[in-house]
Amino acid sequence: MPDLSTRVREIRAFDSLAAGKTVIHNLNPLTKILSTFVFIIIIASFGRYDFIRLAPYLFYPFVVMALAELPYKLLLSRILIVLPFCLLAGITNVIFERTTAFTVGSIAISFGVLSLATIMLKMYLCVMAALFLIATTKITDLTKELRRLHIPMIFVIILEMTFRYIGVLFEELYSMATAYKLRSGSKKGVNIKHIGSFLGQLLLRGFDRAERIHTAMRCRGYTLYQVAPRRRKISGLDIFTLVFVCFMSILFRVM
Amino acid sequence: MLLINNLVIEYPDGLRAINDVTFSLKDGENIAVIGANGAGKTSLLLSLVGILLPQSGQIRLGNEVLQKKNLRRIRSQIGMVFQNPDDQLFMTSIFEDVAFGPRSYDLDEAETKERVANTLKKLRIEHLAERSPLKLSGGEKRIAAIATVMAMEPEFLLFDEPTAFLDPRAKRNLKDILSDLPQGKLIATHDLLFAEELCSRVLLLQNGQIIADGGVNILHDKELLETAGL
Repeated sequence: MPDLSTRVREIRAFDSLAAGKTVIHNLNPLTKILSTFVFIIIIASFGRYDFIRLAPYLFYPFVVMALAELPYKLLLSRILIVLPFCLLAGITNVIFERTTAFTVGSIAISFGVLSLATIMLKMYLCVMAALFLIATTKITDLTKELRRLHIPMIFVIILEMTFRYIGVLFEELYSMATAYKLRSGSKKGVNIKHIGSFLGQLLLRGFDRAERIHTAMRCRGYTLYQVAPRRRKISGLDIFTLVFVCFMSILFRVM
Repeated sequence: MLLINNLVIEYPDGLRAINDVTFSLKDGENIAVIGANGAGKTSLLLSLVGILLPQSGQIRLGNEVLQKKNLRRIRSQIGMVFQNPDDQLFMTSIFEDVAFGPRSYDLDEAETKERVANTLKKLRIEHLAERSPLKLSGGEKRIAAIATVMAMEPEFLLFDEPTAFLDPRAKRNLKDILSDLPQGKLIATHDLLFAEELCSRVLLLQNGQIIADGGVNILHDKELLETAGL
């Protein structure tokens, strides 16, 4: 189980990944947003038993990961967070849909199992696509582009602030947990008696720290409702990438 | 020139943090703001960049009076370095942190990169450009925090307890760097020796009021310092 300092580093790892210089990183953020959007919509449009038809889309994560030089381990650990929710959603299908869909050798695969597998694969592809977007695009570029696309400001701000402050919250948690551990005879975790005040303090300290960081940001010209400046030029490669991703996604869908 | 006239700052709970303060900071001048904890040093600095807006009085940068509508412009001209560098370094690398200000002001990428490179070079921290703020020493963080403000090419610099968390060597390094910077500086500090070495003028603050304004000889007036709770 990784400790809190590892968690803090992991949260910031996406920021570091987004600062890469590969061909995927250098694409216009708009291209990446639209490609991701189209890809997710098409994946979501597949039926509940379309496991086999979804298989060709597995190329997408592998190609992007290779081109963007992203670490598979980190992305996989993020996907594992979503896994229980998908399992929970799909497990009832296994119980209630027992009719055999097909057999592999002597093993009968029921519609329930097929449906669970499809949900898992859909989840994998969609979450991967979203992670690729975050791991190859700086959050500032991403939110600027979302503002230009006239996504309601409140959503953009929530995204921006969550991304910025989640790390701050973890840093506070880390320093509080360290101080607690040093005075608690190195017992594991926080005693149930102290959870209330611990979390209360964390919340207050988080607010306080976030306020100070926000002040420092404002002092350097940041405003919440800042109008996004000129759009980055769209290159031939951007157009090619967008057309290629859309074309291939739609092609596999109608095949 | 930065002119502060009869400045009054009150917090929403009615606490008067700054009470009728008047002084000026000339171009290139270094002023130390000395005072006990709670004397109003940080509030004074925050008001000069419009984080706290005055209830009465006026802050004037050149011919321009600080108002809500020109805060963005004023903040590009008055840079503030916070007491805790961790509050100021929130990006993934020092390069990104230093570029944050210029990018907020919509400078194009080429100019931003040039500014960042020049600033890091000027402060002799080019080697930290790609490092994460999490992995820097206290002294390095402090210089990096100054770089984040310097990249905006301000006319005046405000420092809140710049020597906090620094060891003697880092403190000496900071002093050397600050003495090389041509901007006018307002330095809020408890470090009297640091203030004496760097500043030509001292403002002594108590309960939000200036109780002494003069040369560094103020720092040797034990009776006055004791009155101010130092």
